[in-house]
Amino acid sequence: MVGLRGRNRILMPLLTVIAVLWLVPVLWMVSMSLQPNELLARTTSNTLLGLIPVPFTFHNFIRLFTLGLTPRWFLNSMVVSIGMTTLVLALSSMAGFAFARIPFRGRNILFAVVLAGLVIPEQAVFIPLYTMFADWHWHNTYQALIAPRLAVPIGVFLMTQFFRGIPSYIEEAAQLDGANRWTIFSRIMLPLSIPALTTLAILTFLYAWNDYLWPLVSANHKEMFTITVGLASIQSNFAQSEGLGRVMASGVMASLPMILLFLVFQRYVVRGIAMGGGK
Amino acid sequence: METPVPIRPLPAGRKAARRRARGVQDNLEGYAFAAPFLVAYGLFLIYPFFKGIWISLHDWNLLAVAFDPAAKKFVGLENYIHMVWGRHLVWGVDHLVWARLLGLAAVAAAVAFASSGRLRWRTAILFAVIGVLLFGVALGIHPASDGRWFDRRFWHIVWNTLLFVLLTVPSVTVIALALAVALNRQSRHAAALRTAFFLSQVLSVTVVTLIWQLMLSPKQGILANVMVALGMRPIEWITNASLAMPAIVITTVWWSIGFAMIIYLAGLQEIPDELYEAARIDGAGGWTILRNITLPALSRTTTLVVVLQIILQFQVFGQSHLITRGGPNDSTQVLVRYIYQTAFQNSQLGYASALSVFLFIFMLGFSLLQARAQGAD
Amino acid sequence: MKRALTLLVAALALSLGASAMAQTEITLGRFFGACEQAGTDIQSAVGEACIIQTIINAFSAADNGVKVNTLPTDWGNYYDQLKAMFAAGNPPNIFVIHKHAIPEFASLGALADLGPDLAKAGIDPSDWTATGKAAVTYDGKIYAIPMDAHANLWYVNMDIMKQAGLVNADGTPMVPHSPEEMLQQAKTVKEKTGKDYLTADFSQFPIGVRLVLSLVWQQNAELFTADKANVDSPEATKAVETILSLFKGGYADPTLNYNDSMQAFINGNAAVLVNGDWVVNSLDAQTQDPKVALKHFYVADFPTLFQTPATWADSHTWAIPSTLKKQNPDKYWAALKLAKWIYDHDLDWARTGHSSISKSVVASAAYAAQPHRQEYANTVNIARDVQQTTHYDAIQNVLNRELQAIWLTGKPIDQALKDANGQVQDILDR
Repeated sequence: MVGLRGRNRILMPLLTVIAVLWLVPVLWMVSMSLQPNELLARTTSNTLLGLIPVPFTFHNFIRLFTLGLTPRWFLNSMVVSIGMTTLVLALSSMAGFAFARIPFRGRNILFAVVLAGLVIPEQAVFIPLYTMFADWHWHNTYQALIAPRLAVPIGVFLMTQFFRGIPSYIEEAAQLDGANRWTIFSRIMLPLSIPALTTLAILTFLYAWNDYLWPLVSANHKEMFTITVGLASIQSNFAQSEGLGRVMASGVMASLPMILLFLVFQRYVVRGIAMGGGK
Repeated sequence: METPVPIRPLPAGRKAARRRARGVQDNLEGYAFAAPFLVAYGLFLIYPFFKGIWISLHDWNLLAVAFDPAAKKFVGLENYIHMVWGRHLVWGVDHLVWARLLGLAAVAAAVAFASSGRLRWRTAILFAVIGVLLFGVALGIHPASDGRWFDRRFWHIVWNTLLFVLLTVPSVTVIALALAVALNRQSRHAAALRTAFFLSQVLSVTVVTLIWQLMLSPKQGILANVMVALGMRPIEWITNASLAMPAIVITTVWWSIGFAMIIYLAGLQEIPDELYEAARIDGAGGWTILRNITLPALSRTTTLVVVLQIILQFQVFGQSHLITRGGPNDSTQVLVRYIYQTAFQNSQLGYASALSVFLFIFMLGFSLLQARAQGAD
Repeated sequence: MKRALTLLVAALALSLGASAMAQTEITLGRFFGACEQAGTDIQSAVGEACIIQTIINAFSAADNGVKVNTLPTDWGNYYDQLKAMFAAGNPPNIFVIHKHAIPEFASLGALADLGPDLAKAGIDPSDWTATGKAAVTYDGKIYAIPMDAHANLWYVNMDIMKQAGLVNADGTPMVPHSPEEMLQQAKTVKEKTGKDYLTADFSQFPIGVRLVLSLVWQQNAELFTADKANVDSPEATKAVETILSLFKGGYADPTLNYNDSMQAFINGNAAVLVNGDWVVNSLDAQTQDPKVALKHFYVADFPTLFQTPATWADSHTWAIPSTLKKQNPDKYWAALKLAKWIYDHDLDWARTGHSSISKSVVASAAYAAQPHRQEYANTVNIARDVQQTTHYDAIQNVLNRELQAIWLTGKPIDQALKDANGQVQDILDR
């Protein structure tokens, strides 16, 4: 393992200090969400630069649930993220299985075409997608928020790579037992690929939850906002001078699922990024 | 690794027929499994991509067309000409002379690297040609005193976006590398620190802008509070044209090191321990190991990190839209925000699509060149 | 069994049909801010957001078969959102729109021509003041129902002015009559009280643009006509220099945004606040709070620093999408019903500080008695709207950007005005 051994004594403590400083912005947001609005309108540096929530109140979070649209936005984000993740897993694993393990005509060309799509960024298609969905009257619906991401090939790429790595005798043994393709896929391949699926699921969920540009453009009724877009809409000034604590509480609410998800599934995230990185 | 299974050989015709039948079945099943994705892919990525190009060839007012579909007008490449060209443009040797000399020097360096074997000749020649065309010729074009660019803001915005990328990507790469190297150990402490540095990456851009808008505020920010307490005048990040760009760069770097750090950690873990042992036996110190073993072994990883970061940072939008609102004086206006405003504020869909096509080509070209340069070919 | 089922289905159908007839639900788009606990008590509401929301809520609560679903949007993004909603085919059934934006939307065919239906809806255009009528008329047709006229005012902190000795014998503050006099006042305020002279939002919303517009009009000039830009003119230069002199002398801070400038005035850190008339009510409410530094303020007409009195003004109006009447006539008439209700409550809306556009309201004693109303009674006479153009928003953005470049980044005035002129001309040529 690499370590600058000689400087061990000062390195770790130094890094710890830097890490704490690195977290200050997040700690400050949490702290402000727990302070009363009237205090924050006057000063944001009460008690240790405002990093410690004294005086303390849950009022902002309570109001978050009883007033305003934040709970609705949170729900929207949940629906979109879970929906998108489920569909991406389904589509990517099925297509990945086909590309990796079914020798069908035109497979290689098709795969190359799919890979080529990796270079197309969201910004190159969001305008035409906008006109398409407007024609279909799809805007301000969940499907409009979910559909575009289903087309991104990174999931297929990951699953294909993974399925390619599974030794062929496993499949052959099953075929000899008389299993058909669908059984092999659902009973053998999918369970084996749970680590890859978990990683893909988390990365997709993260993307869906944090997406800003597309929901901003597609969801223009305030009730259809995701929490990311909703948070942006209350950031600009009018809310801020009276409701700083409220706004910060919204920020905390927007971040909590992601932070929790990450802390629980850290291993998979790391492995997944490493898998992509180890190419 | 397959255990041979004795099969009674079938008569030739039957075997071939069996194979054909299986082939047909494979085709059917292959397409059946791949179809759902392929449908989505074609419908939501490929078709819109080409439709976007088609839209860019029109004068298309978003609202007018919403009320009357016939209101769009085919104008061919007019949007593109309006974007990059101008009236009474001239070529001058001395226009942007320092930038161009710098660029040409970089080209010369590339050629030097090739001759010393650090870079392949094919790549070096490619760079030289591009370099001369770009720095020698293209950057010399500018409007004469009675001329003008058709789109007065466009090239400035391109430069802003490029500047943002040039400031963010190296910073993120270097910091992520340093943290990965320093924290690549087994202790619980290191694991906790890695989590701490990664945490910001899982936040959405609007949470990040919310926090940093306030952090940088001269009235309410933490930094301002500290400075005021020390009797100093707080820095006005967002209203100062020279500080606005650094402000969003700092925000972005804080936000973006997570993924890069992990990719580096993965790369580090692939370096075999024997290399380090051998070096240590030879008495090599920390810095020497870093320079001669770690960094070269990480060159592929670095390419990946840099290319991913370039692609990511070219797409910057939220930070410019929510923290600095493109200002002051367009100093932080970036391409994606310009596209967004052109489409949804000015309702000029055709022009916005042309800008998107430009962005796509620009990004693609840049990342391809970068990958080439790192010798990943 | 079959019979029971049929009866059940019939009952369900009937109840569904009945409920559909009982309530028409319409959507309403507006800015003005959020007032979540609005309720229906119009009289006790304070500030634009709460007054309008209580008016709307009261309409929903009244037994008239219509329920309103408000879609609030923040001011800065309002027209982007509105355009996006139109483009996506789902605009609000009724929405507020500034006078300056009506040409753009009407010329695209987005707004319903309400003229023929006003009588049936019970709205009487002869009660509209001349300003109100002009606000909603474009190309000879009536595209909206007016709600108010609003203008930039000169809010004065009387305590600071007293301390600086700049108060007249009758208790009104001394307003400057020339740029030099204004600078002199600023100096006096600084010397005698140490406070800033003027505060306004110069760095965020286009308040600075409106100031420059007013000062250019006061010199009998225009920044643009229907097809020619006139931004780099001597009058514009003079207007900008006047404002800049305040910054240069340290008498005003150009980096403050909307909230900061309001806060500065409320905290008693500036003698004068330049803002629209929509904060009269909320500022008044602030002075009731003993913890607040602002105690006494006077609302003066915007001063005439050059030859002719003028101040920037605009109007809020309510419009309906052109497609609604054909798509859903029930909602169309419900929307008009709501428009009438809002118009009937114009006196309450005027409590914000806005000027009413209803002749009967203006003539009423209650209107004249509203706090501070008499202080800026002359504003209606000097208020000037920007001329009608379909490009106003785009032009305002350009001007805002270039003006901010001048006072935030030190861009030379002639360069900025020249650039602005070029860009505005491009827009007008489109």
